[in-house]
Amino acid sequence: MMNDPHTAKAFDTDLQELSRMVAEMGGLAEKQIADSVQALVKRDTDLAQRITLTDAAIDKLQREIEEHAVLTIARRQPMAVDLRDIVGALRLAGDLERIGDLAKNIAKRVIALNDEFPPPKLLRGVEHMADLVLGQLKIVLDAYAQRDDAKAMAVWRGDEQIDAMTTSVFRELLTYMMEDPRNITFCIHLMFCAKNIERMGDHATNIAETVHYIIEGRPIADKRPKGDTTAFAARRAAGER
Amino acid sequence: MAMSPALYARRRRRNRVSIGLALAATAFGLLWLVLILAVLLWKGFGGLSLAVFTQMTPPPGSAGGLLNAIAGSLVMTVLAVAIGTPLGILAGTYMAEYGRYDRLTSVVRFINDILLSAPSIVIGLFIYEVMVARMGHFSGWAGAVALAVIVIPVVVRTTEDMLALVPDTLREAAASIGLPRSLMIRKVAYRTARAGMVTGVLLAVARISGETAPLLFTTLNNQFWSLNLNQPVASLPIVIFQFALSPYNDWQRLAWTGALIITFAVLALSIVARLLASQRKSS
Amino acid sequence: MSMASFAVPSVGNAVVNRNELAEKIAVRNLDFFYGDYRALKAIDVSLYQGKVTAVIGPSGCGKSTLLRILNRMYDLYPNQTATGEVMFDGENILSPALDLNLLRARVGMVFQKPTPFPMTIYENIAFGIRLYEKLPKSELDGRVEHALARAALWNEVKDKLGVSGLSLSGGQQQRLCIARTVAVRPEVILFDEPCSALDPISTAKIEELIDELKDDYTIAIVTHNMQQAARVSDFTAFMYLGELIEFGDTSHIFTSPDDRRTQDYITGRFG
Repeated sequence: MMNDPHTAKAFDTDLQELSRMVAEMGGLAEKQIADSVQALVKRDTDLAQRITLTDAAIDKLQREIEEHAVLTIARRQPMAVDLRDIVGALRLAGDLERIGDLAKNIAKRVIALNDEFPPPKLLRGVEHMADLVLGQLKIVLDAYAQRDDAKAMAVWRGDEQIDAMTTSVFRELLTYMMEDPRNITFCIHLMFCAKNIERMGDHATNIAETVHYIIEGRPIADKRPKGDTTAFAARRAAGER
Repeated sequence: MAMSPALYARRRRRNRVSIGLALAATAFGLLWLVLILAVLLWKGFGGLSLAVFTQMTPPPGSAGGLLNAIAGSLVMTVLAVAIGTPLGILAGTYMAEYGRYDRLTSVVRFINDILLSAPSIVIGLFIYEVMVARMGHFSGWAGAVALAVIVIPVVVRTTEDMLALVPDTLREAAASIGLPRSLMIRKVAYRTARAGMVTGVLLAVARISGETAPLLFTTLNNQFWSLNLNQPVASLPIVIFQFALSPYNDWQRLAWTGALIITFAVLALSIVARLLASQRKSS
Repeated sequence: MSMASFAVPSVGNAVVNRNELAEKIAVRNLDFFYGDYRALKAIDVSLYQGKVTAVIGPSGCGKSTLLRILNRMYDLYPNQTATGEVMFDGENILSPALDLNLLRARVGMVFQKPTPFPMTIYENIAFGIRLYEKLPKSELDGRVEHALARAALWNEVKDKLGVSGLSLSGGQQQRLCIARTVAVRPEVILFDEPCSALDPISTAKIEELIDELKDDYTIAIVTHNMQQAARVSDFTAFMYLGELIEFGDTSHIFTSPDDRRTQDYITGRFG
C-alpha cells in the first residue's frame, strides 16, 4: 500500500530518503550476516577482520537515520502514517544496528577460534540457521520496502523454525562437549555464534512487528508462536529433569 | 530577471502622464473652491462686525445686522435636527439591524435614496401644500419640518451605513453571551458606530444650514426679531437671497457677510465631522 | 520486544472509554441548509462532559457551521435551517420554542477574531454578568476578578480595569473574550478557531487555558491547526464536504485513523 504524495513535495523526499537509508542499512546487515557465517565456515580471519570494519559503516548509517528522522519530525510535524513511518525507520535502524553488532561478534569469535578445528558437521547446523535468518531478513526488508503486511506477518510467524533449530544445535553441541572436554572451547564459541544468529532472527521478528505497525497503525493482535526451548534443552541434555 | 528597457520606459512614461492628469484635475477642482472662498472673504470679511451679530436686519439705507436671521436659522436647524434625527436613527436601525434581510428594507432604502437626492424645492412645495396652505400662513414650524424632511434621509443613510460597518462578529459575540437584540444594539452596535452616526447628523446640519428653497415656501422671512414659530421667521439663506438680489449696497454687503458666516459654519461642522470620523477609525 | 511499547500513544489524555462518559450534547442526524444548499449531511457527534472535542477538516467542510448550530448562532441570519436533533442535557435545542438568549447564556462562544465590546475591560466582563444576575458592587467586582483570573488575564489588567478593552493586545483581547464568556457561567464553551489570529505565545496561553477550563466546562473547538487539535482535545471529529467522516479518540485519530480521507487530511496529502 503506497500513499498519495503530500501537498508539500519536500516531505515526500524526506520520507523517501529515510526509507532509502534504512534499505541501505538493511543491505549492509544482510551482507554482514552472510560474511560472518562465511568467515566461520571457511575459517577466514581476513574476512572476519573486514566485517569488524564494516560494522562502523552500519553504526554511522544508524546515526544518520536518527538525525534525519529527528529533523523531519521537527520540520514537518508528521501525523498518522507519516509519524509511524518515521518512528518505524528509527526502530528498524536500531534492530539492524544490533544485527550488525551480532555479526561482528561472530567475526571476533572466528578470530579467537583461529587454531581450533570444529568438525564440519557442527558448522553445518549453524550455517543452516544463518541461511534461515538471512532469508527471513531479506523477506522482512522487502516487506518494509513494499509496505507489504502479509510478508511481514509471514516472517513474524516464521521465527518459530529458527528457535527450534537453535534448540537442536544446542543439544548437539552439549553432547559434543560431554564426549570430550577438549571440545569445550570451540563448542562454547559456536554456541555463542548460534545464539547470536538466533538473536538476529529475533531482530528480524521485531522488524516484522514494526513493519506491521507502520502499515496498520496498531500492534499485532495474536501471540507469537515460540519454538525456542534452549533453556530446557540444557537441562534435558545434562540428564536432569 | 530579463526585462525590456523599452517596455519599462514606456510604462514609466504612462505613469507620469496619469499622475499629471490626476494632479491637473485636482487642481482644477480646488481652484474654484479657493476662488469661492477668496471672493467670500474679500467681499464679506469687511462687513463682519459686532453689529452683524447684535442688530436686526435693517431697512434699506440704514445700518443693521443679521441677528434675527442667525437666530431664526439656528432655531429652525435645531428643531429640524431634533425632529429628523430620532426618526432617521430609528429607521436606519431598523434597516441595519432588525430588518436587514427584509424586502421592506430594500424598498425603504430605494425610496430613501430618492429622497436623499430630491430637489429641496420640491420638499418646500410639499410642506407648503400640507402645512402652510392648511394653516393659512407661513410659519417657522413649517420651515423646521421642511428641513427635517431633508435631515431624515441623510441620517437614515449614514445610520444604516455605519451600523452595517459594525462587524457581524461583534453582534455574534454579543449574542453569544445571551444578550437580547435591543441591548446589543444600544450597548454594542451604537457604541461602535457612534462617531459615524454623529458625523452623519453633522453632515445633515451642514446640508440644511444652507438650504434656501424649502424655506422660501415655508417660513418666508421676517424683518424683525421673532422666534414665534407660528409666524414667519427670518433665516440666513433667505436673507442672503433677498439682500443679494436687492439694488442696495449695504444690503448686498450684509448678504456677503451672511454667506461668509454660513460657509464657515458649515466648514467648521465638516471639520468636526472629519475629526470624529478619524477618531472612530483609530479607536 | 515488548508489545506494550507499541500501545497507541496517548495525546494529552489517557485513552478513555466513551461509554463511561456523560454526553453533554448529542447531535443526531443533523442536516443544515443555507437556503437550498445542504451544508451538513446527517451528522452524528457527541460532546462529552468535561472533555475537549476538536472539529477539524478543510475549509468549507462545515465545521464552523456545526459549531454555530450548537448555540443557534445561525438564527441571526435568514434562510438557514437545521433539521435533526441536538440534545443538550436531554432538551432539543433546535426546538423553535427554545429561549435563544438563555441557550446562549448556557453555551458560550469564543470567536476567531477577538471581539471585545467597545467599553472598559471591567465593563466587558460585568456587562454579561449583569444581564442575568443582580449583584451588589463588591460581589460583582469579585466575579469580574474571578473571570479574568480564570482567563489568566487578571495579573496583566488588574491595574487598568477602566481602560478600553480595545487597547489590549490581540492575545489579551482573546483572553478577555474568554473571560467574558466564562463570567456568564456557561456549561459549554465553543471555540471557533480561537488562535488563528494569534502569535505562538498567545496561542500557547489559550491552549493552556482550554486545558484548565475543561475540568469545569464541556468544550468544543474548531481549528485549522491539526497540531493544536492533537494537543488540546480528547476527542476529534474529522469533517469533509459536510459529512462527518470520523469521530473518535484524539490519540487514535492522529496516530492511526480508520478512514483513508482522515489520514490524507492530517498527513497533508489533500488536493
